[in-house]
Amino acid sequence: MDLAETIKSIQPLKGEVVPIRTIQETQPPEKFDDAYVAEVNVKAASKVIKALDAAFPRDVSLPMSHLRRFAKRNMLPQHLLSALEADSATTPTTNGQTIFVLISPPLPAVETLQTLLAPYAPVPRRRSSATPPVNSPGLSSPIASPASPEPQPPKIRLLKTRIPIYAPFNANQAEQWTRKMWPVVFNPAAPRSTVAPPPQILNRALDSIKPRAGYYLSLARKVADESKQSGRGRGVGAVVVDPAIEAEIETKAWEQCRNANERWMDAVVSVGGDARYGRSEAGAPSQADKHPGVAPNPASTSYHADLEGGPDLHALMRATELVARRRREDTEHQAQYASSLTPVIASDPQLSNKLSPLESYFLYEVCGTHSTAALDHPVAPLSPRKRKHEDPNPETGMASLNVNPEASIQDTPSIMPLPAPPPSSMALADPTIPTPSIDPTNPISNDERNATPLPQTSRIRTRAEGGYLCTDLDIYLSHEPCMCCSMGMLLSRFRAVIFPRTGRMLSGGIASEPIIGPTPVDYDSDDDNKENIGKGDETAADRVYYGLHWRKELNWRALGFEFVEFEGDEEEGNWTEVVADHGDGEDQVFHA
Amino acid sequence: MDEPITELEISPAVSENSRHAYWMKQALLMGEKALQVGETPVGCVLVHDDQLVGSGMNDTNRSLNGTRHAEFLAIAELLQSHPKSLLQSTDLYVTVEPCVMCASALKQYRIRSVYFGCANDRFGGTGGVLSLHSDRSIDPPYLVYGGLFQKEAIMLLRRFYIQENEKAPNPRPKKNRELNTAFDEQNENEGENDGNVLLAP
Repeated sequence: MDLAETIKSIQPLKGEVVPIRTIQETQPPEKFDDAYVAEVNVKAASKVIKALDAAFPRDVSLPMSHLRRFAKRNMLPQHLLSALEADSATTPTTNGQTIFVLISPPLPAVETLQTLLAPYAPVPRRRSSATPPVNSPGLSSPIASPASPEPQPPKIRLLKTRIPIYAPFNANQAEQWTRKMWPVVFNPAAPRSTVAPPPQILNRALDSIKPRAGYYLSLARKVADESKQSGRGRGVGAVVVDPAIEAEIETKAWEQCRNANERWMDAVVSVGGDARYGRSEAGAPSQADKHPGVAPNPASTSYHADLEGGPDLHALMRATELVARRRREDTEHQAQYASSLTPVIASDPQLSNKLSPLESYFLYEVCGTHSTAALDHPVAPLSPRKRKHEDPNPETGMASLNVNPEASIQDTPSIMPLPAPPPSSMALADPTIPTPSIDPTNPISNDERNATPLPQTSRIRTRAEGGYLCTDLDIYLSHEPCMCCSMGMLLSRFRAVIFPRTGRMLSGGIASEPIIGPTPVDYDSDDDNKENIGKGDETAADRVYYGLHWRKELNWRALGFEFVEFEGDEEEGNWTEVVADHGDGEDQVFHA
Repeated sequence: MDEPITELEISPAVSENSRHAYWMKQALLMGEKALQVGETPVGCVLVHDDQLVGSGMNDTNRSLNGTRHAEFLAIAELLQSHPKSLLQSTDLYVTVEPCVMCASALKQYRIRSVYFGCANDRFGGTGGVLSLHSDRSIDPPYLVYGGLFQKEAIMLLRRFYIQENEKAPNPRPKKNRELNTAFDEQNENEGENDGNVLLAP
């Protein structure tokens, strides 16, 4: 059976695509600190704020806008009320015209605070009717009154409380903190994009990923199996999909009354298999070369760092590099860099010139009509865009991504003129392209020039067509990527990362919490592998949950999804073997 | 989750006049090279027994691959003449704190220790944002020392952004230019932070 047939016969995994919650959702930052609460004259409230802000400038990096600046007595939490009552025996009662102000950390010295606030102290309640009317409550200027000898010297009551440093994640939390610590405001409209992707973005992506995720993950496992069976790597595979092509396929299928899912493979722009045993070090034979014809590679039975190649040979990194490699073959790019004095780059460290049959097939042999047509119009809306940390709503860009392709499809007639073939195939013969980059010190260029003949078109958008890194692409993986690959995914600007829950890794970088709720089918029920992952018994003690796909601290964010396979499905039979004999025992402990 | 990193200071005397200074200068030279060819000027060298065993600079623009950071190139060079195991007794000198990706890679590659120039509070993986060098994982932790020639490293970056701005009529690098501004601001801040950036084993 040739590759095209094999791919056509791929059965999709059956299951459900579930968004991976962000670390901000699963581990909402709760940090508390001490603060002072001072009772002041209500009429001096604005002066108090001015005095406090002037004396103790606020830390802009730590906005405390979720904390009320003032609270009336009836808004105080119980422990402060109790403290007040206990205190009232020794402190003169005030006339009730008071309010409580919060002094948040960093806390000043008590004396400093006392001095600063003294002018705004509450006016003591007159116990004797003989009090001169001049000092009638509220009318006296608090600034003038400290000098007044007649009432007791104004005394500021300072109480201590704990306060939450970060804004509440939901109304319940706000209510709880209000009750226990200090009045807290929950603002649902506050910029939450740092907390989690906005629901409409998430749902739109989910809608586009759901229908064919089972196919792409099934293909990822085929790629994984290929790596493993070749002895070149561990059984980990990656599939890069262009959602714009998927949208195109859907439109066409709808017009032709066909099932869009039949042509799922047309949206695959590259696949990459793990090749960690395939690289030669210091000219010595690679681990794969040392054991020709032996699969899986003997090195994969345990985790021995010296035999693990490196993360740049992991499936995600290779699939990403193959996209880059294809673009580097573009004439324009070669011309640009041939004339510059680009320093030497070490030889093919990611084995992007040593393609497996599946890798080669998707990178060079397919250039379906779907993809050609798809390339032709969504270019503008898909132009690279950035989501900068400073951007208060970095997702607006993604929203337009999800809206625009549809819009453009509706706006444009379904019969699009075919684009002129990119001149890439001519590049090789073009004598005007200088050849100095064929330089013994720069073997990459040599190899790339002499590589497989280029087809007329590629599913990978060139830079001229708006293609930039892996912007707007999705990556489907057989396993959860390691930390290095997870960050590589972000640096490559993928839109989304999807992997089966059974492929969770102790060393993974994406999951944000232990598996909760119903667990997927137990593939390994007949072996006693305690280290197995995805069985639902993973606990926080087993691993660190980074949820790297969407962290507020990082400049780049992507959507993360897990694929939860249905239980008792017949189709998983094939993969059971592939995954379950991933090794015997401990070898789930490695980086995918 | 991120454990605070223990601070380990490179005293000014050491930083000016030691072999550490020598190697960091070599890393800065790699950064200069990157600047000359229009790459984000980050450079690094790998040093084993006082010998240079690999050097690298950012290569993301030429390779069209956003993951081709200086560290990966240096390691690839090392692997042409040495086995991976050499990294266990090798130190990295890099002008900017390794990003999260590289910090994890360096751990998987079992680097012995990392000396960096300026910190990276956007992507840093050795204290800037995350602390992968010391986090619990299936690979052992490694030592990290920061702040060595940080001003020089920052100046390299600044020169890069100015240079990009001069190219303004060119429509293509527009996006890059905006992205770079983010980095620039960060490093501005870094500059003000002088002396506070010393990190850690």
